Amino acid sequence: MFLLALRDACWLTLLAFPLIGFDLVQKYGETGKEIIFEWQAIGTIFIGILLIRLAAGFFKRYRIYRCPEGRLQEAKLGISNIVSKVYRLFDHRLHQRPALVTLFALAVALPFLPRVSNAALDVLTLAFIYVVLGLGLNIVVGLAGLLDLGYVGFYAVGAYGYGLLYQYWGWSFWQALPACGMIAALFGVVLGFPVLRLRGDYLAIVTLGFGEIIRIILNNWDSFTNGPNGISSIPRPTLMGLEFSRQAKEGATTFHDFLNIEYSSNHKQIFMYLLLLSMAVFTMFVVERLQHSRLGRAWIAMREDETACAAMGINTTLAKLSAFGLGACWAGFAGGFFAARQGFINPESFTFIESATILAIVVLGGMGSTVGVTIAALAVVIIPELARGFSQYRMIIFAVALVALMLFKPEGLLPAKRRMYELHPDDPNDLNHENQSVLEVTRQ
Amino acid sequence: MSKASPLLALEDVHTFYGRVHALKGISLTIAKGEIVALIGANGAGKSTALMTICGRPNSGSGRILFRGEEINSLDTDRIVRLGISLVPEGRHIFPRMTVRENLDLGTYLRSDHIEIARDLDQVFDLFPLLKERTKQLAGTLSGGEQQMLAIARALMSRPRLLLLDEPSMGLAPLLVKQIFSIIAEINRSGTTILLVEQNAFMALKIAARAYVMATGLITHSGSSSQILLDDTIRAAYLGG
Repeated sequence: MFLLALRDACWLTLLAFPLIGFDLVQKYGETGKEIIFEWQAIGTIFIGILLIRLAAGFFKRYRIYRCPEGRLQEAKLGISNIVSKVYRLFDHRLHQRPALVTLFALAVALPFLPRVSNAALDVLTLAFIYVVLGLGLNIVVGLAGLLDLGYVGFYAVGAYGYGLLYQYWGWSFWQALPACGMIAALFGVVLGFPVLRLRGDYLAIVTLGFGEIIRIILNNWDSFTNGPNGISSIPRPTLMGLEFSRQAKEGATTFHDFLNIEYSSNHKQIFMYLLLLSMAVFTMFVVERLQHSRLGRAWIAMREDETACAAMGINTTLAKLSAFGLGACWAGFAGGFFAARQGFINPESFTFIESATILAIVVLGGMGSTVGVTIAALAVVIIPELARGFSQYRMIIFAVALVALMLFKPEGLLPAKRRMYELHPDDPNDLNHENQSVLEVTRQ
Repeated sequence: MSKASPLLALEDVHTFYGRVHALKGISLTIAKGEIVALIGANGAGKSTALMTICGRPNSGSGRILFRGEEINSLDTDRIVRLGISLVPEGRHIFPRMTVRENLDLGTYLRSDHIEIARDLDQVFDLFPLLKERTKQLAGTLSGGEQQMLAIARALMSRPRLLLLDEPSMGLAPLLVKQIFSIIAEINRSGTTILLVEQNAFMALKIAARAYVMATGLITHSGSSSQILLDDTIRAAYLGG
């Protein structure tokens, strides 16, 4: 067990190295920067991980297992019962709820804690938008198994949906948001039709093209979308009609006037943060439920084997279109929120790199795993922000971290159970098997 | 064939894969409760015939009647809904789902939960091996077990007609025997079966009647004993 812990500690330290292992320092009066290695930090991390890994390995023995006679049995080891209970709170599926509720409460309380800056909240707000995007794409890629490289197109449709509805008809955020989702879903279905017969690489190329077409149209249709100049001064969301600006527009009230408190720009930030947090949680909830629904099972069956899926009496056409539509719908919502957060949108925000980032989130998180994708979304947005100190090297660092993660943990951070089999078929712990004789059985 | 209205009837069915003319007008009938074999060499069009019945692809011309209803232009899911269940060639189980999840998907179109539970028991009686492995991922089953799972899954939809495509493919002789005896048992309990096989001897042993296909056409038909005795067929498909 110690060797296992040592192995894991080495890998994680190696992963952490590009992020915290060295610092670039600008010396006074000199051009260029100097690299300083932070051996102390690296050492601390290594020892820390080693200890945590050892402890985790120890607790792991508390898992419930089924003994050969079929009875459920809990292994008993010497350590106090409380520790094992705390561990199971996070480990066992049925006990996951309290842990999630605690995390949610922490997240809600975060903006009210001292020393939490506006900038940090802003980054987290953006991260929540990516959580929604990641989970939306997870429906298409993770569950239905349709590789979509043009997901950003639907994001753009949502953002421009709100922008244009405001510009031409003066719709407010809350009026426009459902429309954003619906318009994007419609685009999703429209894209779905021509690609019904395509899979894999071919599908990826068509969707890639679709994403680009949307961006190019937005860029060139000057008279309608205002071209590369974009749409500016898009209003922020309101809370039941209360605005978060210093001065209210005609006929409106501001939040601080209503509550009779001093104006603070923090209010706006906190409101956006909480809004996006609830949106992200709502998305997690819906996607998780979808996954276990009839439709979700149909998607997974389609991803596994399309012929067999049809032979089960599942309408694969409907399953594909609904996956594209529902996936795009979430991108539309995220787009609406994005437009409201930025207050300004132009086609530059919706380039292919965004699609790639969202896809990276889904793959990193472990395809089809709701919690995994959520964690990955937070990581993918927050890590580059943490690495800001490295200025121009930060994206290289980010890339190295991604490559390393994929090399050493190809199934993602928190993979859905099914993917474990594909990538680590020899690890009996992860297979959730009732009996171990499976390993003696010939594999296909 | 003597019965008035067969369960399934193909009338001069043509199927095309793009420009390839795969089925050149085949006609066959299956009566309720029968077990009929469709045998022939590689590339004769046996599987295509089966897939055409399921609407993958739909037939180019001709008529396919199931219980008197024309099904030749329906989508696969509509055809399955009518009570035709296919066990595709090469099994096509869902590898990253557990055995139980695979079986559950077989009941996708049903909502009579009590009957489903009863059918599940029956299927487990038929395939006791699967019962031991309900929580195992289907992809980790052996070839024979996967074939059993594929058949069990098809049975879970309580089909009127079961289409089996090469159930003996890639299995050890002992397993083939076992699978065929199970197929005969399924038929005895009332399910009509159309069996496509290369292993003509085994197929003819359990089937009452058979059709022989070559290059997209049905060349012979008759009772299994007749076909077993036919010298030209023996030479061509049964290895002398």
